[in-house]
Amino acid sequence: MATATYPPPPPYYKLYKEYSQDPDSAPAPPPPIEGPYVLYGASYTTDDVLPGLEEQGVRQLYPKGTNIDFRKELRSLNRELQLHLLELADVLIERPSQYARRVEDISLIFKNLHHLLNSLRPHQARATLIHILELQIQRRKQAVEDIKRRREEAQRLVKEALGTLNGQ
Amino acid sequence: MILKKYFITYFVFPQFISPHRHLHPRATHARRRRTRRARERRRRSPGMDIISQLQEQVNAVASIAFNTFGTLQRDAPPVQLSPNYPDPPANPNGVEDAATLAEQPKLLSAELVKAAKQFDALVAALPLTEGGEEAQLKRIAELQTENDAIGQELQKQLEAAEKELRQVQELFGQAVDNCLNLKKPD
Repeated sequence: MATATYPPPPPYYKLYKEYSQDPDSAPAPPPPIEGPYVLYGASYTTDDVLPGLEEQGVRQLYPKGTNIDFRKELRSLNRELQLHLLELADVLIERPSQYARRVEDISLIFKNLHHLLNSLRPHQARATLIHILELQIQRRKQAVEDIKRRREEAQRLVKEALGTLNGQ
Repeated sequence: MILKKYFITYFVFPQFISPHRHLHPRATHARRRRTRRARERRRRSPGMDIISQLQEQVNAVASIAFNTFGTLQRDAPPVQLSPNYPDPPANPNGVEDAATLAEQPKLLSAELVKAAKQFDALVAALPLTEGGEEAQLKRIAELQTENDAIGQELQKQLEAAEKELRQVQELFGQAVDNCLNLKKPD
């Protein structure tokens, strides 16, 4: 039965010979990757941004713009969805062979809904950050107060002790 | 004989699948009928954030919608296509009675409307602050400067407190030494 040996270690282990005495003589670790990279045949990007609907080939039903009123748009998309479902029901009763267009419309609305919700996530992230910062500021203020109080108490006790010692 | 209902169910439901990757994986099996017990088992965890709840609600509306249409189509009685053909045979099993058949659309559509209303309620509960991204970033910058200032003050207080602690400990050591007469007084 043939046994295979383990593959040899990568040859650049020799570069780290003097590492214990002089850590700088060995090469530095590779810097972090920026921009797009290819991993196992698929290309990824380091820029984490939600791709727009148009880029995915989906028509955008809610108005574009920097400040979107999310509540209004979500509610109007919900109404549209209900209307389309009713239309689908009607079409199925009267002209059943024309379901495809209606079903496409409904799935378009769902895609828009999900994209809107996903674009709320950065807002949520910033709000979470604000909340965490506020909590931290509050805790630090509390800690400062505590230290001040304890210092004053300690000084008072020391003065008292001095007084008793002098009084002896 | 082509029965209308078979024509429809064969062609509609395999395609009423939104290929959008954000739908719940169970939503892609369009013909699965979920029983009430299975629906209750898959309950949303109570501490979920509002956006995830909204996303779950959207998926719930989708699944109720296709379950509704699928159930109604599956259980619909056959329809007479033309007066030339004879009437379709009466249904031998009286299980799917006229009563249940009339009840089903009402119940299912009530469920759908309830889910849609819940979505609206969740949307109303969104804690969206006005001002958008710039206002949030400004607030974050303010909070950061305040945090740094407080951090430095905390550091200062801490150092002063530690210095005093060391002084007190030294004095205490001297006093104890004097008490115990271990060192000759200078």
